[in-house]
Amino acid sequence: MSIEVKNLVKSFDKKVILDNISFKVDDGKILSIVGFSGSGKSTVLKLISGLIEKDSGEVITTGGDIAMVFQYSALFDSLNVFDNISFALQERKDLRGKYTRKELEKIVAEKLELVGLSGIEDKFPSELSGGMQKRVSFARAIVTEPKIILYDEPTAGLDPISSTLIEDYIVRLKNETNAASIVVTHQMSTIRRTADSVLMLYNGHAVFEGSPDELCREETPYTRQFVEATLDGPMKMN
Amino acid sequence: MKIYYKATYTYKLLKGFMQTAESLISTLGSIVMFGIEFIKGLRDKPTTIKELMYQCYRFGVTSLPITLSIVGMTSVIVAMQVAGEMVKQGGGNYVGMLVAILMVREEAVIMAGFAIISMIGSSLASEIATMKVTEQVDAIQVLKVNPVHYLFTPRVLAGTLMMPIVVIISALIGILGGGVASNLVSGLSYKAYFDSVWFGLNTHDLNVCIMKSFAFGFVISLISCSCGMDAKDGAKGVGLATTKAVVWSFVAIVIVDLIFAAACFY
Repeated sequence: MSIEVKNLVKSFDKKVILDNISFKVDDGKILSIVGFSGSGKSTVLKLISGLIEKDSGEVITTGGDIAMVFQYSALFDSLNVFDNISFALQERKDLRGKYTRKELEKIVAEKLELVGLSGIEDKFPSELSGGMQKRVSFARAIVTEPKIILYDEPTAGLDPISSTLIEDYIVRLKNETNAASIVVTHQMSTIRRTADSVLMLYNGHAVFEGSPDELCREETPYTRQFVEATLDGPMKMN
Repeated sequence: MKIYYKATYTYKLLKGFMQTAESLISTLGSIVMFGIEFIKGLRDKPTTIKELMYQCYRFGVTSLPITLSIVGMTSVIVAMQVAGEMVKQGGGNYVGMLVAILMVREEAVIMAGFAIISMIGSSLASEIATMKVTEQVDAIQVLKVNPVHYLFTPRVLAGTLMMPIVVIISALIGILGGGVASNLVSGLSYKAYFDSVWFGLNTHDLNVCIMKSFAFGFVISLISCSCGMDAKDGAKGVGLATTKAVVWSFVAIVIVDLIFAAACFY
């Protein structure tokens, strides 16, 4: 298995955001983490990627790089698409100077082709649509052939067609890289189209873990409330 | 039964004072930590000549018009105020010396520092703060590149290297402006003015001026980058980081100036 999280606990200013969360994701599988805003979904990704420190618990990965696709792409706006995608290859201490310019151009072209955006190397992020920026950030994420890919609300702010396209690319990248992936999302369409398993968080606790089909069968009060998007149920907005 | 105490003004004042003190210590701590991290990063050469040249251009060239205007006008004002009186009192031969010493020891450095803080320091802080709140800094970190090394190195190096150049050009323009103003206001000849300049300046003043400029450049760029890196909470955070960078840089260069004055002239 590629990611195993055991008894993860994280608090901010004495408020417990994640309380004893555990899950596993195998290679070539996608886990979707769902829940209300503020339920700690993005915190899980930040803990796995090392952006923040955990209070206790374990995050076990089987080695290799961890890539992350951010909610609003987080492309470097002062760099063009080529430099964005090849950033890690050019700037990372262990990779700096390893590739010639021609090799970098070849790698970037391959990654752009994989996300359906060939020939935009010279464009800057401000010249791209939201969906294109997201796909460029996918290409940037996979440039070091990561074993784990984390997606933080990859379809947020996109129209339904662009969302579908992004969902297709998430599945395609999983198939191409055989990486273990975690997708944080609010959208049922993203869950249905991409996820192999689903984890629902509420108030720092895992309240559901199962397959997308099980989620859609609405067998628990939590899943029923989430799928029906109703205010009536055990989950209360703060 | 719960008992509620009404907060007194003294309590509120003390609480506000404690919060301000905490914020000051926290900011100072993070600037020191980022400074240490920056110095550690120098060994890895985490920047390119191209990026360094761009930051040098940004720091040195784009700031020059405003810096020269401020320093030039300050020296003209000083010369206008003192030249007439000094010539009347028979001290015309000392006007050049006075302006030159004032420029080289204080005005050029401190005025250039203020101009650089306003133009470049604020720009560095807001640039890095925007990258921080839009998760670009997180993206750098996830890609296993040290964001402090990557972002600070070219900016702090450029600031440290370019500040003396900006100050020297500013001081020259200041001395020149003082000469023109003295001539126009009090009829002091250019020869008398520049003889006095030549007589008044010494190597020690110039050395201190250059060393102080290096220190100012380092301090301004480090504080600006650090305040940017500490930003949080969206657009409001960017604004706060920029303000903090400007205020802290102003205070820091005055303290550095005081240290140099005490150490080098007394």
